[in-house]
Amino acid sequence: MPLGMNKHGSRSTTSLPPDPTEIVRSKACSRRVKLNVGGLAHEVLWRTLDRLPRTRLGKLRDCNTHDSLMEICDDYNLEENEYFFDRHPGAFTSILNFYRTGKLHMMEEMCALSFSQELDYWGVDEIYLESCCQARYHQKKEQMNEELKREAETLREREGEEFDNTCCAEKRKKLWDLLEKPNSSVAAKILAIISIMFIVLSTIALSLNTLPELQGVDEFGQTTDNPQLAHVEAVCIAWFTMEYLLRFLSSPKKWKFFKGPLNAIDLLAILPYYVTIFLTESNKSVLQFQNVRRVVQIFRIMRILRILKLARHSTGLQSLGFTLRRSYNELGLLILFLAMGIMIFSSLVFFAEKDEDDTKFKSIPASFWWATITMTTVGYGDIYPKTLLGKIVGGLCCIAGVLVIALPIPIIVNNFSEFYKEQKRQEKAIKRREALERAKRNGSIVSMNMKDAFARSIELMDIVVEKNGESIAKKDKVQDNHLSPSKWKWTKRTLSETSSSKSFETKEQGSPEKARSSSSPQHLNVQQLEDMYNKMAKTQSQPNLNTKESSQSGKQKEELEMETLPGPMVPLLATRTDGIIDMRSMSSIDSFISCAAEFPDSGRFSHSPLTALPCKGGINVIQEQSRPEGSSARYVEMNPTSESSRRSAFFIESPKSSIKASNPLKLRSLKVNFMEEDTSTLVPASNVLRTYPDPLKSRGAAAAATDTSLLSDRSLMSPETSIYTTASARTPPKSPEPQAAIAFNFHDAGIHKYIDADTDDEGQLMYDSSPPGNVSPKYSVANSGYLKQKDHVYRTEKNHLEAAALPTSPKLIGQNCIYSMEGITGRTQGNQETVRLENHISPEVHVLPGSGGHANTHDQSI
Amino acid sequence: IKMAGDSRFPDVDTDGSEKSEELEIVVNVGGVRQVFYGDNLIQYPGTRLAELVNCLSGGYDSIFSLCDDYDPGKREFYFDRDPDAFKCIIDVYYFGEIHMKKGICPICFKNEMEFWKVDLKFLDDCCKAHLSEKKEELEEIARRVQLILDDLGVDASESRWKRCQKCIWKFLEKPESSCPARVIAVLSFVFILISSVVMCVGTIPDLQVVDAEGNRMEHPTLDSIETACIGWFTMEYVLRLISSPNKLHFALSFMNIVDVLAILPFYVSLTLTHLGAKLMELSNVQQAVQALRIMRIARIFKLARHSSGLQTLTYALKRSFKELGLLLMYLAVGIFVFSALGYTMEQSHPETLFKSIPQSFWWAIITMTTVGYGDIYPKTTLGKLNAAISFLCGVIAIALPIHPIINNFVRYYNKQRVLETAAKHELELMELNSAEGKATGSRSELEDLSREGKEGPFYSSRIKVSHSDTFIHLLSEEKHYRTRLQSCK
Repeated sequence: MPLGMNKHGSRSTTSLPPDPTEIVRSKACSRRVKLNVGGLAHEVLWRTLDRLPRTRLGKLRDCNTHDSLMEICDDYNLEENEYFFDRHPGAFTSILNFYRTGKLHMMEEMCALSFSQELDYWGVDEIYLESCCQARYHQKKEQMNEELKREAETLREREGEEFDNTCCAEKRKKLWDLLEKPNSSVAAKILAIISIMFIVLSTIALSLNTLPELQGVDEFGQTTDNPQLAHVEAVCIAWFTMEYLLRFLSSPKKWKFFKGPLNAIDLLAILPYYVTIFLTESNKSVLQFQNVRRVVQIFRIMRILRILKLARHSTGLQSLGFTLRRSYNELGLLILFLAMGIMIFSSLVFFAEKDEDDTKFKSIPASFWWATITMTTVGYGDIYPKTLLGKIVGGLCCIAGVLVIALPIPIIVNNFSEFYKEQKRQEKAIKRREALERAKRNGSIVSMNMKDAFARSIELMDIVVEKNGESIAKKDKVQDNHLSPSKWKWTKRTLSETSSSKSFETKEQGSPEKARSSSSPQHLNVQQLEDMYNKMAKTQSQPNLNTKESSQSGKQKEELEMETLPGPMVPLLATRTDGIIDMRSMSSIDSFISCAAEFPDSGRFSHSPLTALPCKGGINVIQEQSRPEGSSARYVEMNPTSESSRRSAFFIESPKSSIKASNPLKLRSLKVNFMEEDTSTLVPASNVLRTYPDPLKSRGAAAAATDTSLLSDRSLMSPETSIYTTASARTPPKSPEPQAAIAFNFHDAGIHKYIDADTDDEGQLMYDSSPPGNVSPKYSVANSGYLKQKDHVYRTEKNHLEAAALPTSPKLIGQNCIYSMEGITGRTQGNQETVRLENHISPEVHVLPGSGGHANTHDQSI
Repeated sequence: IKMAGDSRFPDVDTDGSEKSEELEIVVNVGGVRQVFYGDNLIQYPGTRLAELVNCLSGGYDSIFSLCDDYDPGKREFYFDRDPDAFKCIIDVYYFGEIHMKKGICPICFKNEMEFWKVDLKFLDDCCKAHLSEKKEELEEIARRVQLILDDLGVDASESRWKRCQKCIWKFLEKPESSCPARVIAVLSFVFILISSVVMCVGTIPDLQVVDAEGNRMEHPTLDSIETACIGWFTMEYVLRLISSPNKLHFALSFMNIVDVLAILPFYVSLTLTHLGAKLMELSNVQQAVQALRIMRIARIFKLARHSSGLQTLTYALKRSFKELGLLLMYLAVGIFVFSALGYTMEQSHPETLFKSIPQSFWWAIITMTTVGYGDIYPKTTLGKLNAAISFLCGVIAIALPIHPIINNFVRYYNKQRVLETAAKHELELMELNSAEGKATGSRSELEDLSREGKEGPFYSSRIKVSHSDTFIHLLSEEKHYRTRLQSCK
């Protein structure tokens, strides 16, 4: 039964889509259209949207069937002529202005990356961005892309370390970890320290070797190395050689290893020694000993390179190297400046000083030295000007030198600091990832920064794929629009499948390992994607959802989770404060405490399948209520509550997890909901019921008013509501306990609570200016009554409802259809308004199937 | 036109307006409704909203000329504009001044203000600075685009001589335009380097020859190389001068003055040695020639033509003239103070190196810039103390004013790159717009709209591009943009 109910919530399964002619008619009857993007309502002329016919909004007009409409927008309401898009509202303002003015500007505080995603979604090319905003946009985007590319590279590097195709892969991997990753284990750390000590020792030995006191004299009268220091040198070289060879043997990709800059340095540190030995041994008797000696001397100098081996152990040195590589432009500039300055000042000083007796400025090349030393403000004093003119030139040279050197350096410094920061950030990110992994293993973490992780991994995917092939990149870009309706449907489907087909998943589990073994770029791509998905899974927490599946369907499920869960995170806080404010205004603090204490009970009760549906109903009520008001402020206000209730619905439907959870966040969210519920139930519901019709009547919306009055009468007449009202009347407003008891007695008390919560909040906010849309609560009350009764009364009532609503205001039917009554009773009157209005539920539908899946399994388990 | 979608709005406002004396106007801007009183709006008669009030008595035509849609039932005017900017702009009716909402692009806001016919003077000064900054940037981009367009545009109507002139100009001035032009640029660069090296090498005594009168002369081979280089420079300069579209502007620009300075000394000394003997004494001529040799240094500056970094440096220095003055002033004050102090303190020492205050200037400069040759140094304790302080003060005096200069440099350096890409982007955008204008007639509306905003050079250039013949050629050049365009649609 609950399964059926949940399914009725989703329009795609049961209800009929609206007729194309209806859609065309709705579009034709108004010059304007309302676009609701993430809760912010916009009104725009159809003519304006036609200016860019191939963008998402441009296509909107041409879509005359339900399916094609759902491809483009996330939801629509033909009566209101309103289309809903589940996107960021901030970026949309700029994009809509593009239609209006033909100029695409960008909000200044907008992140370039998210803006580009929005542009992708709306089908607007970034090339249209105006020049004034374009610079900022591209700068940021390039920076971001670079960062992500680097991250992807490190990811790929890690991916690349696969030891599978050759012998003793296990051992080699261990060895590789030991030598290359000092953070991986204690032994590796010790090894790294030993290596550093050897490097330091060998450099010290090298420099000590040149001290005349320590040098020996060989048979030719030439100075030779100190024998003790030679031994030290030999030991060091032996260590380096061993290290290099082990690394080389254990490396997964030999050629890449050979090419790596750090390994090249290692090789350069070792080679001179062997070359020297080879040369001296082979040429001992040959006459050209002097020449050999000279060569040997050069190789000895090359030994100095081993100090660069320290770069392997220091991020600072690495980032210095990277900076120099990246800012060769600025370095070139610096050298050019210096060269020009040297040229100019040396020639000037030459002309100034050349007539002086005993001058050292004999020619321009000779005075280069002076100019260099002066411009760099070293000033040895071996050459200095003596004439007055020369001294003036010298003074200018000093100042010019200071200026010229100082100018390009900040740019280089900037590069360096950026890279260094990035490096540090990456190190931290790795650590965090490890910590997350650990936490996930313990099973104690809830995906707080899942959104981050998801966005990030999506980006990474993009870049990784981009690198691997153009065609794949395009496909992935489509996937990047992960909120596109078609995708939603897809995920929905897979989700409903996965919830019931666990065996399928387990079957699939073995396959990815196989895929990994191949080394073609395509497959590598798959691996990376998988890795990313796994990473997402790491950050995920739902224990019942997140089995260790790596099959395709499992991934889809994860993705859905990813997208639905982060949403309510932000509004949560807002609702909480709301709730508290309500508390203060409505009741004392002890009631708050008591209701907070009550929540586990309710959690237990929420096992009941009935509550799951009413909760949904509650959400819908909120949404429906907020819609007709039309003002953006109302939307903003309402959205958090609807979100939170959505979330609460989610939690109630998966009670196991909520009870089991040791996570404070969940508890808090539940508490929040309860706070709201209780505060609202404190007010006698009958009051609410009675107050509504009055302002409406006075408003003078004649048709609606008669309707509502009629309906309110009906609802009051219905036995269910009377019970309800008496129940609420029975409860003293200041004591929450009995109320809770009521809630537990009637399973669908939750409905009332929810409805009350909504009506109450609304009522408070809108007593003076409540629009006709506020009729909805009554309906919901009435409907919930039907839900419970399901007798002939319901049928008649329903008929009344239809009779009342059909001719005049479709909105009312809209309220009706939220409950998808026709699904329960099998009503097939073909009421198109209801069907269409049901579309409004779709945002919830995206969420609920996931939770519905939970409810499913729970019910089965129960 | 009765709008079904609007039926949910309560009709309070219109009811009120009918009853009350005051005229109420309901304005719906992109979905945001706002109620105004006519009196309030009429305060600023030129604005669109005030016009709206005035034309209420007129027919529908006048109303529809001002707004996009009108609902007579509710007397609601609909404008298809940005509601966010509108919310800021209506402040003018209440407070008499406008503050830009944070985050809105100033150019975008300016356009909105133009739409509402609100004068820019109502924009408050604090926000105006932002706008003018952006405007300057745009102008710079426009200038660049204009330059690029000038290079691209070849008018068939021009005479052959003019076209030829343009060809040469492009050949010499725009190294990136074609392969031969790049070769020319590299060749020119090499000549500059050679001539500089020759100038330096020529002063080495070992390579000099002694002529009949015992004077040291430059080596004949070096001399001939020098002549060849000068010949190249002269040819280059003359060609440039001939082909330049604006002769006066060309002659006065900095780089070309440098060019002249690099060439002139050679010819002047040539004429002097040949003719000057008759006019004055030989020794005088030789001295003049010697002096002119220094002028050869100017050719090093010719390198700046080939390096954007050097141009940036000159720009930064030009921009931070004040800071440079500050630096020099600080140094001058320091030099005076410390040389005087050093001189007085060193007086007590019998073998002092500080002979006079002007002489100790040199010491002060060398100390304050931390060069420290060691030719003059203090010997007494007090003098040494003074030296230490002067060194510290010198570091500070140099470091403080240098920071703004560096800032200017870095900012300009970064901006240069940004502007370059922006100019390219602007070109692409223009192509895009004109392509759309050609491809679909239905989209001309947008075209017009986008054109409307751009004034001055932009307007003309846009038209020009959309009609110029090079346009198709341009398109084929930048294929990547096309693919992007396709992916968008």
